[in-house]
Amino acid sequence: MNFLNLAPWAVLAGIAALAGLLYLLQRLRIRHAELRVPTTLFWAAAVREAPVRVFLQRFRHWLAYLLLLAICSLLWLGFADPQVSDQRPGDYAVLYLDGSAHSAGGGDFARAKRELAGRLAELPAHRREVIWGGGHNLKLLSAGEDRLLLDKRLEALAPQAAPSGLDEQLRLLAYYGAYPEQVDVLVFGRAPAPASALQRLPPGMRVVRALEYPAGGSNRGIAALGVGPARSGAWDRVDVAIRIAATGGLSIGIENLQLRLAGDAGGPLALSQTAEDEFWVHDLPAQGDTLEVRIQGEDDLPLDDAARLILPERRAIGVALSPNLNASVRRAIEADPGLRPGAESPQVAVRNRGEAWGEGLPALEFAPLAEGRAAFEIGYDGGRGAEQALQDSVAALGLDQIDGAGLAAALQRPVGVVLQEAERRSLVLWSELLDGRYNFAGARSFPLFLSRSLRWLAGEKPWHAYLAAGRPVRDQAARSSLDASGQPAFDLLGADYLPPRAGLAAAGNEARLEVSLTNEEVSLRAAGAALGEASGGPESAAALGLAVWLMLAALLLLLGEWHLYQRGLIP
Amino acid sequence: MAASLRFDELFDPDFLEALASFSLRARRVERGGRYAEQPSRARGAGLEFADYKAYVPGDDLRAVDWNVYRRLGRLFVRVFEERQDLPLYLLIDRSKSMYFEQPPRIAAGLKVALALTAIALGQNDRVGLYSFSGAGQLEAELRPLSGKGWLMAFARRLAELTEAGETDLTDALHRFASRPLRPGLLVLVSDFFDPAGSEALTAALSRSRHRLLLVQVVKQTDANPAAQADLRGDLRLRDCETNAAVDLAVTPAVLARYKEIYRAFAERLTAFARQRGAGLLQLDADRNALEQLEALFVNGRLLA
Repeated sequence: MNFLNLAPWAVLAGIAALAGLLYLLQRLRIRHAELRVPTTLFWAAAVREAPVRVFLQRFRHWLAYLLLLAICSLLWLGFADPQVSDQRPGDYAVLYLDGSAHSAGGGDFARAKRELAGRLAELPAHRREVIWGGGHNLKLLSAGEDRLLLDKRLEALAPQAAPSGLDEQLRLLAYYGAYPEQVDVLVFGRAPAPASALQRLPPGMRVVRALEYPAGGSNRGIAALGVGPARSGAWDRVDVAIRIAATGGLSIGIENLQLRLAGDAGGPLALSQTAEDEFWVHDLPAQGDTLEVRIQGEDDLPLDDAARLILPERRAIGVALSPNLNASVRRAIEADPGLRPGAESPQVAVRNRGEAWGEGLPALEFAPLAEGRAAFEIGYDGGRGAEQALQDSVAALGLDQIDGAGLAAALQRPVGVVLQEAERRSLVLWSELLDGRYNFAGARSFPLFLSRSLRWLAGEKPWHAYLAAGRPVRDQAARSSLDASGQPAFDLLGADYLPPRAGLAAAGNEARLEVSLTNEEVSLRAAGAALGEASGGPESAAALGLAVWLMLAALLLLLGEWHLYQRGLIP
Repeated sequence: MAASLRFDELFDPDFLEALASFSLRARRVERGGRYAEQPSRARGAGLEFADYKAYVPGDDLRAVDWNVYRRLGRLFVRVFEERQDLPLYLLIDRSKSMYFEQPPRIAAGLKVALALTAIALGQNDRVGLYSFSGAGQLEAELRPLSGKGWLMAFARRLAELTEAGETDLTDALHRFASRPLRPGLLVLVSDFFDPAGSEALTAALSRSRHRLLLVQVVKQTDANPAAQADLRGDLRLRDCETNAAVDLAVTPAVLARYKEIYRAFAERLTAFARQRGAGLLQLDADRNALEQLEALFVNGRLLA
């Protein structure tokens, strides 16, 4: 128990009230237990010479009264907790205004702004700064800047459909030397701080939630939206999964979900509910359209009520197929339902080196080993560097699935990849690899290699199983079911891209990315109450225990008072 | 009113039999008594030669010492010391404080009183029984009597004593002194808790014409009140006799002061007894009375 926010005048008033109360108590006579004795003759004489312990008489002993008052005052101060202000001498305060989706509900953001302005007025300008934590963290007010600037800068800001950036901000603040030794991070808003981030705090750094929020609330939101190949097996169809997170006793059914495909809400979409919070839409056409899912009805947080996803574009690719090709190549291409050999307007050509078949089209060519080329020769377009081209194409072509080492051992020569910039995409590989003696044309990865290569040559766009704000983008075109590790190639090259907030975005050469919030933690409204106060490093004894020291001092005085009383030095 | 002891509790044959070896011996009783066994100042018939005196007509010729007559030619008669009785006056305190606790102080006091009565009657001394309580309350329960046959009557009368009022020992002593009684041994059985104070008490005692045997009935808690379990904390002590109240917090300081005062009181009584040549028996009411009585008698004999 403590009275942490008690103002100094209130503490002093409390002490004064205690003094008055003790005075009144001193004026009261105590109630005695009655005991009959043979004679009071000697007791009366003893009491006359050694005054009895009654309050009224005790009050006559000012030193005893002051001792009692000191004990009570120390106890009062101990309970009041002398940290009336959160500031420690020499502190630097970082005021973090949460602009993430966590604080977008109700009046949370307005309240946070109001409280922040109030706290800002109490802090010296040179020892504080304000950081906005939305899709991107932004310093709104630097140390020394006039706080009036903050109002103008806050005008255009509103909570964004983005996950919390507090974790990232704490990492930045923890860099050694970036801030003074004593830093208080005051969080205005519901942004959660993961326990791992709090554990990494350096000594002297303290994270305090300036406002308390009740957990829960009444909300339901789209926690996940993802697309995958159709369960029906149709290569040009996809299935979409939707998961809803709800709190506050709200439930959801099919009737509460509205779907729009390519802006059209009228189409018959096969929506089914497989669990209380799980929905599926099966066999949507993979034509690159945007699917929008929206929850109907009101709740605490509107930002998570809608999510969008661009479906993959799976179109049949016309292939100009040379009649002189190895039969294994021809069979693999003809067996792929996404490829149309002999189409009227082919988009790619497959031929032997030197043939004019499908001239002018991006081509997959087989060249004899004797020409002295590399085993795989990739021609890329788009003016990208070789490194970027390799990054884009290795997984996209399925080269990572080929047993290169085995081939090299069988061929007794190195199997390498050469990249060169060209007007149009091309892929040349040794025709000898198709020989049945080598583990290439007969391998399970061969049809996949052909399929991916031709799609890459045709310039098929990559697609994403899901795109969520704050989570890495996974290119599903580069992902293979044969990938033993299950890690996407994007990650293997260490190039995570995290879309900061929900909405349309662009990344690299991608035409567009439709990113959704889909954050269960936001939808469940669980953040806000759990942070409390966390400190980095061991607390100093003085910081820990002013209240404890006061209690100990009171205890010491009590022992002293008891000792004096036992010795009869005070009544 | 609470009685102290039932008659059968008081008149215990075993207890009385144990007193057979005890005797009371006076240094010299005043003349005027009956023939008995105590040495007296009276001269007359007896066995112990005391002195000569000149013969006057009427003296017993058998007492003329003819040897002296032959040597001196004048008649002298031998004078003998008469043996008379010792009057024993029992003065019993019947105030409420004597009956207040368990066991009551009066029980031990009555045992001792009966014991002394039995001893005195057994050696043909006269015993008178008096009791007192508040101011003006001095009762002659039994006039001085002699003869063993009266022991039962004394026991019955002692058993019939009941509590009555406050202690006023000083007044009782004054009233007793005014009674025309032959000087003897006054046995005062009391707790000596006299509101008049110890100085007034000793002053009243010192004015007594009688030899004194003070039987102070005490309890252990008198000298050490801390041994009393319920004497803790803030108390209102109520006097069982006067109903007067004293508020106090039982502190070590108060306890220490109490002990000092009580010790001074006890020492004053002891000093008075020593100075006056009186006997003083501090009789613990919680212990065996006979054992404590034996300590008073030296070789079974108490010289009064």
